[in-house]
Amino acid sequence: MASMKELVEFIVKSLVNDPSQVYVSEINGENLVILELRVGPEDMGRVIGKDGRTVNAIRTLVKVLAAKQGKRVTLELL
Amino acid sequence: METERVLEVSGADVEIAIAKGLIRLGANRDEVEVEVLDDGSRGLFGVGAREARVRLRVRGKAAQPSASPPPTPPSARVERARAKVSGKDEVETARSVLLELLDLLGVEKARVEVRRAEPAEGEDKAPLVLNARGVGIEALIGRRGETLSALQHITRLITSRELESYSNVVVDIDGFKARREQSLRRLAQRMADQALRTGRTVVLEPMPPHERRIIHIALRDHPLVTTQSVGEGERRKVTIIPHREQGT
Repeated sequence: MASMKELVEFIVKSLVNDPSQVYVSEINGENLVILELRVGPEDMGRVIGKDGRTVNAIRTLVKVLAAKQGKRVTLELL
Repeated sequence: METERVLEVSGADVEIAIAKGLIRLGANRDEVEVEVLDDGSRGLFGVGAREARVRLRVRGKAAQPSASPPPTPPSARVERARAKVSGKDEVETARSVLLELLDLLGVEKARVEVRRAEPAEGEDKAPLVLNARGVGIEALIGRRGETLSALQHITRLITSRELESYSNVVVDIDGFKARREQSLRRLAQRMADQALRTGRTVVLEPMPPHERRIIHIALRDHPLVTTQSVGEGERRKVTIIPHREQGT
């Protein structure tokens, strides 16, 4: 089963200047998955994107995996 | 000394807000008192949606803040993707980035065909069209092509970054966009005819920007109608206006 954490990690580490500061934690509830994403302060803007477009695109993609498991997912950028 | 720790958090609904708060406090559900400040509201079709807010109070002894997560080494997958694309051209870079994403999205037997599209008028660089196929790939189109747009955005960003120059990558799924473009062009012609027949402005359904663009371009050279977009954001739509002087 493809993992949401891996998906987010791949995308974010491919976009930031400092991949060593990227942390993703996945908390699995019965019906809900919470993904928490941390990136270096200089990379925040890059991950958020113009009008939040990039972080929202990442959210849209993890939803595909969540839907396959019949779960809801929320991605928080901390 | 006993410190009382209180935290206010918001989330899409109460359940999410509580879960987020627990993570931040590093506490278990049975260690906190929950006070719901706002139930939140999903709104109607996202209109008037309001986040839920809760206040969490850690009971008794102060909970230890959760240890920061151990540093994760750069994933093997990222390293692999990076190595794979280094020193390669735009086509190979874009293809391998998309294949990697498809794999992570659980698409099996993914294949990607690449073609160079005709450059549109006024664009210096022709878009590179990647058409993806595979088992379960339909799941990546989404409502009104939303998921496909997200996939394209991310593919374009990563590809451009790997190449260190902007890459105009277009992602399609099983020819979905190509077919949609055909039907939008036919729709444009039909609605232009209707506008002329009735002498009234025809208002189309709301569409995303790239779809509105297809309509505008399809009717750009039409001698008897003018197109114009009206409305804001998600509700923005194309109107087809017949030229008054040309009424039959």
